[in-house]
Amino acid sequence: MSMLRTLIPFDIAGGMALTGKYFGKVFFSANRKKIRTQLKHFTQEYPEVKVNLAPRYRGRLTLLKDEQGEIKCVCCLACEKICPTEVITIEKGKKEGRKMPFPVRYDFEMERCIFCEFCVESCGFDSIILNHQFELATYNREDFSIGMEGAGQNMFIPSPVGRHSVAED
Amino acid sequence: MFKNEEMEINLGPQHPSTHGVLRVKLRLDGETVTHCTPVIGYLHRGVEKICENKTYFQGQVWTDRMDYVASISNNLGWAEGVEKLFGIEVPRRAKYIRTMLTEQNRLASHLLWLATHALDIGAMTVFLYAFREREYLLDLFEAFCGARLTTTAFRIGGLREDLPPGFIKKAQAFQDLFLDCVDEYETLLTENRIWKKRTIGVAKLNAEDCIALGVTGPVLRAAGVPYDIRKAFPNAAYAEMDFEIPTRTEADTYARYLVRLAEMRQSHRIIQQCIDGLPEGPVMAKIPKILKSEVNEVYHPIEAPKGELGYYFVGEKGGLNPYRMHVRAPSFVNLQALPKMIEGRLLADVIAAIGTLDVVLGEIDR
Repeated sequence: MSMLRTLIPFDIAGGMALTGKYFGKVFFSANRKKIRTQLKHFTQEYPEVKVNLAPRYRGRLTLLKDEQGEIKCVCCLACEKICPTEVITIEKGKKEGRKMPFPVRYDFEMERCIFCEFCVESCGFDSIILNHQFELATYNREDFSIGMEGAGQNMFIPSPVGRHSVAED
Repeated sequence: MFKNEEMEINLGPQHPSTHGVLRVKLRLDGETVTHCTPVIGYLHRGVEKICENKTYFQGQVWTDRMDYVASISNNLGWAEGVEKLFGIEVPRRAKYIRTMLTEQNRLASHLLWLATHALDIGAMTVFLYAFREREYLLDLFEAFCGARLTTTAFRIGGLREDLPPGFIKKAQAFQDLFLDCVDEYETLLTENRIWKKRTIGVAKLNAEDCIALGVTGPVLRAAGVPYDIRKAFPNAAYAEMDFEIPTRTEADTYARYLVRLAEMRQSHRIIQQCIDGLPEGPVMAKIPKILKSEVNEVYHPIEAPKGELGYYFVGEKGGLNPYRMHVRAPSFVNLQALPKMIEGRLLADVIAAIGTLDVVLGEIDR
C-alpha cells in the first residue's frame, strides 16, 4: 500500500485539486458580470475603488468647531500631556467675548504622530477627532507641520494629501 | 587539488527568508554548516528605556511595535502587568473580550507564520490562502480598535470601548468558515511529499535542550513538554476556558507545524467559548486618573503566539512611570536555539530552522 502511495502522488493531487477548485471558480466567472458580483473578493482594487474603513478607524487629527463656528478647544492641555510622542503644542490665549481660554496656536507634527488616539480619549470637551484619512504622504517635510492657519495644512480641514494618490493621476 | 577550506557567508540582513533584519553568520564546509552565529540589533529602538520615561498609560503604544504581528498579545501583557502592579481588578466582560481578541491575534500570527514559513520552503500556494483569512482577522481588529497592526487595543483597567455593533456577528462568520480553511492548509501541506522531505527530522531540538536554553512556545511543546502559560498561570479569562495543549514528541520542524495547526484549532475553540459565554456588564474598572506606584516589582508572563512573553516592572514611590521595565521576549530567547538546531546540518535547513522558530525581529531587537 505504501509502495502504491509512493508511486501514485495522491498527496500532490490533493493539493492540485484544491488549487484547481479555486482556479475554476475564478476562471469560469471572470467575464460574467452576474456571477462576478456574487463572488466574494478578498482583495480590493484600492486606488480605483475606495477602501471601506471601519467607523473607529484612526486617521489624522482634526480640530472641531461647534455650531456657532467657535473652536471647541479650551486649552486644557490634556492631549498635549498624554501624547506619547509629544506632537501637539498648544498656546493659550484670550479672545473677546469668550469666557473659556482660546487656542492661539494648535500645532500638530504629523511626521511623528503614531495615531494611537490617546489625545481624543483624553479630551473632555470632544473638541478633537481622528478623521478617516490615511493617504498622508507628501513631498515636502513642511507639509507635515499642521497648524490652525493656511489652506495647505490646516487642523480644521482634511489634509490636501491624497493628491499624490494613484487614483488622481 | 581540492583544498578542504571552510567558507564564511552572511545570510541576511536583507535576505528574503530571514523575516526581518536578522543576519546569520555561517561557516560552511561544503554545504554543511559547521558554525552559526545570529547577529541581531539592526532594529534596536530602545523600547525598554523609552517606556521608563513614559507613564504607564503611554507605554503601551511601544508594545505594539515589538512583536508587530501579534500586537494584541503584547498589549495584553502590558495592561495585565500594570494592573498587577497596581492591584486593579478588571471586569469580567473586559476579560472575555481580551481573551477573544488575543486568541484571534494568535490565529493571525500563526497564519502569517504558516504563510511565510511555507513560502520560504517553497510552497507558495499556502501563502495566498493563509493571508486571505488573516485579512478577515485584521478587519475585525480594525473594527474594534481602529488599527490593523499597531492596535493599542486595551487600556489599564479594561477596555476603552465596548465591542462595536456587528462585531460578534462578523467574528461568528469567521468562526464558521475557519475550520474548513485549516483543513485546506492541511490538504496542501500535511501529506505533501516535498513538504515532508523538507521538514521531517530537520532542525531537531529535544526537550532537555529546549529547557536548558529557555525555549518556550510551540517549539517546546513540539518536544513533548506540555507547558503553556494559559494553563500554568492562567491570566485573562483562560481559567474559565476549556481547551487542550497540543504536544508532539518528534521535536522537528514537521512536529512544530502540526503543533501550531492544532493550536489554531484550539484557539478557534476558545474564541467560540468567548462568543457564547460573553457576559454583560461594564468593560472598564474604576481607576484613578493618575496612577502613582509604590515601591514594588512585578513579573507578569502571558502566552504570546511565540512563547512566554513576560513583562517585568519595578515601581518607585510616587512614580508616574516604571523605574525599570524589562521584556522577556519569546523570539529573543528562542533565537538562541538556532545554532544548536542547525550546526552539522545543510545550508538549506537553515531557512527551515529560522522559519520554524517564528522569530519577529521587532521583538528581538526591541
